[in-house]
Amino acid sequence: MQQGEIAIEMNGITKIYPDGVIALRDVDLIVKKGEIHGLLGENGAGKTTLMRILYGEIKPSKGTIRIFGKKVRFRGPWDAMREGIGMVYQHFSLIPSFTVLENLVLSLSSTVKVTINQVKKKAETIIEKVGLNVPLNTRVELLDVGVQQRVEILKALMRDAKILVLDEPTSVLTPTEVDEFLEMLRKLKEMGITVIFITHKLREAKLITDSITILRRGRAVGVVETNKVDEAELAKMMIGRKIALEIPKKREGPMTGNVVLKVENLQVRDDKGLVAVKGVSLTLREGEILGLAGIQGNGQRELIEAIVGCRPVEKGNVIFMGENVTGMSPSEIYRKGLAYIPDSRAVGLVLDMDIVSNSILTRLKNFLGKGGRIMWSKAHSFSSKIVNEFEVLTDSLKTPVKYLSGGNQQRLLVGREVAQRPKVIIAAEPTHGLDVAATEYIRSLLAKLRDEGTAILLVSTDLDEILQLSDRIAVIYEGEIMAIGRPEEFTTERLGLLMGGVKCQTKN
Amino acid sequence: MPNKKLGAWELTEYEIFLIETVGSISAGLIVSGIILAVLGYNPIRGLSLLLLGGLRNPDYLLSRATFIMMTGLAFAIPLYAGLFNINGEGEMYIGGLVALLTAIYTGNGFLAILAGGVAGAALGLLVSALRVYRGVNEVVTAIMLNMAIYYTIIYLITSKFYDPVAPHESVKVPVSARLGTLNLVVIKIHVIFLLALAFIALSYYFLYFTKLGYEIRVSGLSPASARYAGINSNRAMINSMTFGGFFAGVGGALNVVGFMYYIDSLLTSMHGMGFDGIGVALMGRNNPLGIVLASIFFSMLILGSQRMQLLMRVPKELADALSGVIIIAFSLPYAYRMLISYLRTRRMIKIGAEQYS
Repeated sequence: MQQGEIAIEMNGITKIYPDGVIALRDVDLIVKKGEIHGLLGENGAGKTTLMRILYGEIKPSKGTIRIFGKKVRFRGPWDAMREGIGMVYQHFSLIPSFTVLENLVLSLSSTVKVTINQVKKKAETIIEKVGLNVPLNTRVELLDVGVQQRVEILKALMRDAKILVLDEPTSVLTPTEVDEFLEMLRKLKEMGITVIFITHKLREAKLITDSITILRRGRAVGVVETNKVDEAELAKMMIGRKIALEIPKKREGPMTGNVVLKVENLQVRDDKGLVAVKGVSLTLREGEILGLAGIQGNGQRELIEAIVGCRPVEKGNVIFMGENVTGMSPSEIYRKGLAYIPDSRAVGLVLDMDIVSNSILTRLKNFLGKGGRIMWSKAHSFSSKIVNEFEVLTDSLKTPVKYLSGGNQQRLLVGREVAQRPKVIIAAEPTHGLDVAATEYIRSLLAKLRDEGTAILLVSTDLDEILQLSDRIAVIYEGEIMAIGRPEEFTTERLGLLMGGVKCQTKN
Repeated sequence: MPNKKLGAWELTEYEIFLIETVGSISAGLIVSGIILAVLGYNPIRGLSLLLLGGLRNPDYLLSRATFIMMTGLAFAIPLYAGLFNINGEGEMYIGGLVALLTAIYTGNGFLAILAGGVAGAALGLLVSALRVYRGVNEVVTAIMLNMAIYYTIIYLITSKFYDPVAPHESVKVPVSARLGTLNLVVIKIHVIFLLALAFIALSYYFLYFTKLGYEIRVSGLSPASARYAGINSNRAMINSMTFGGFFAGVGGALNVVGFMYYIDSLLTSMHGMGFDGIGVALMGRNNPLGIVLASIFFSMLILGSQRMQLLMRVPKELADALSGVIIIAFSLPYAYRMLISYLRTRRMIKIGAEQYS
């Protein structure tokens, strides 16, 4: 590896979108050849935008790009590929019903003429060299997410990529897989490949990268050599202030509150008609947060929807406050004092409606007067109460919700559900896609409600969130509860194994 | 973004809407004028006939607007739930026929209007129930039903309910059931127009002040949110189509009981109005008040183009094309907004990013 040679030089990159949003302001990014360069920043800091510019997918409004010293202007990703840039997105671009080999042929043949045998030979060489464990003749849909990701990397390497951009590659992996993945990155580095590693996870950035560029709200706020900083400093640069993410957790003996929600042997089918929840039983007591951990798509959504009545229950019962509510409609169940915060704000809110109209969505009956007339004045005062109490930033209550920022939308959504003083809250990914300040706010709010006696079922794919908030943790895998217990009983490693479907033998 | 700045003025959404509307009409007129001039017609005379020709008889203008106002509602309400009601035409015919028969047998005009509305509602219910429970596309059903109803009614009028004195017309509405005109101080106005305004108010109340209306709007804007909130989207769809059908049926009834007093054997007094309603609803931006204005404007153009044909010997095709140009001009604000945002980006880039940092 030649010391000091520059692989990528992006200068003064500015991106202004047609609606006036400034995504990037005068960002410089310099990556040395053969290093692993971290691109660190919160959601919405502009990491992905910067990389999409590098990959030729979007054009910068201003700024220059040099690849290995050569000034380039990309008209599209194909130009970037020709210069040796490969990109692996969070969402893979593979055809599920094709085999791995067929996917490779498809991607290669879009630019060069190759035969399937040439592709196979080349793929096998690379697999051996890098130690990528990929079965070439299996259909992609049958592969785990982790393996699919390796297929994407293989795809980039097949094009002789000299620069590999990985967009939040570890977000889809279990902790064990992450370790394997980082190992593979080191191998790529040994081969002289330059890697840009986009992440917002400090630990990984610290672990694997050689240097880091930190983005904050569209600006590059620092470039550091990884071995000269610690995680706390990185966090400070990323967020711009000290974070106090430690939420006091109530640690006491066994939970003694009354059981408010009981799920007995629940079986539910998903949209495709497959059994997605296979005999799940849970109990939830007053004043506790039960964290349901699991990788996305393991039956969490179906389980919650069955509890609140959006989805038919095939077998089993849902007992809420001693009453069997199985098969009741969601609006009935909500009115009995169960609140549900869905994982998507586009579901929990009607984005095209204003704040007032959204504030009555789940409890419409409470706002009906004589003859089914909606009492808008009552709705108005209720929504202004939410806006004040939960600090939703808005010009007016008549503002369509789509013009609010993600954090404000979430405050409105959570506020609406919480303001009714529910006995039980089911919160799915309550901080998904939020910045640190909003995340902190929502988490402290949940902790406060728990201390006041509300029972909370927290469904999250974010292990940190689960570990930080839960009084008990349950792990779900393929519609079954793998384990349930107090947080002390789980290490991150054990949680990761359970989430990946491995029931490990504990020592005790 | 409720307010926008334009120079020194702070504009509300309504003011912007007004400016955009006036601007687009003017642009449409200019283009139409050029077309007329190029083809050798006097553009000033042509345009003044096109625009003002309808105003010669305000009563007739408003009466004509009444019917497409109702079919406009019939399209707009299901659209709130995300459904296309192409059935306004058929619902209007059925409404007209049932109103005629009710008027004949009961002699009560208001009862006839209600009966016509109920008949239209029943048709809307049928179409939406087929969609919801059988998965039949509502547009296909509606198009076929329109034809079936059209010919069935022609058959009934010519063979069962024809007037022996004038066989191309149906039996007349009895005088006791007829709704006439009111003589206000300066103008004469048909009662049906006022009734239509009442129905517009009713629809507004229904959409924005009732549980059913709220559920319809939520289902249309975000089906996933509706499901989450426990709103039965299927029922909301059926409700919306039923209410839409009701208004189209009322439109037909108003035509028969309050304006024509009979149905002619080719349904010419109603023909095409169901489809005009689609344009009216879209031009009125699906808003009940917008529909009132759009239906009057639409009627103005229709009557104006007839005047132009009559007095200037402009061919019908050209007269219709000119009305079309004016209606298309209504999409200009969207083009304008795209241009503005493009220019703004360019300007911001020019000024440079430093200034924004």
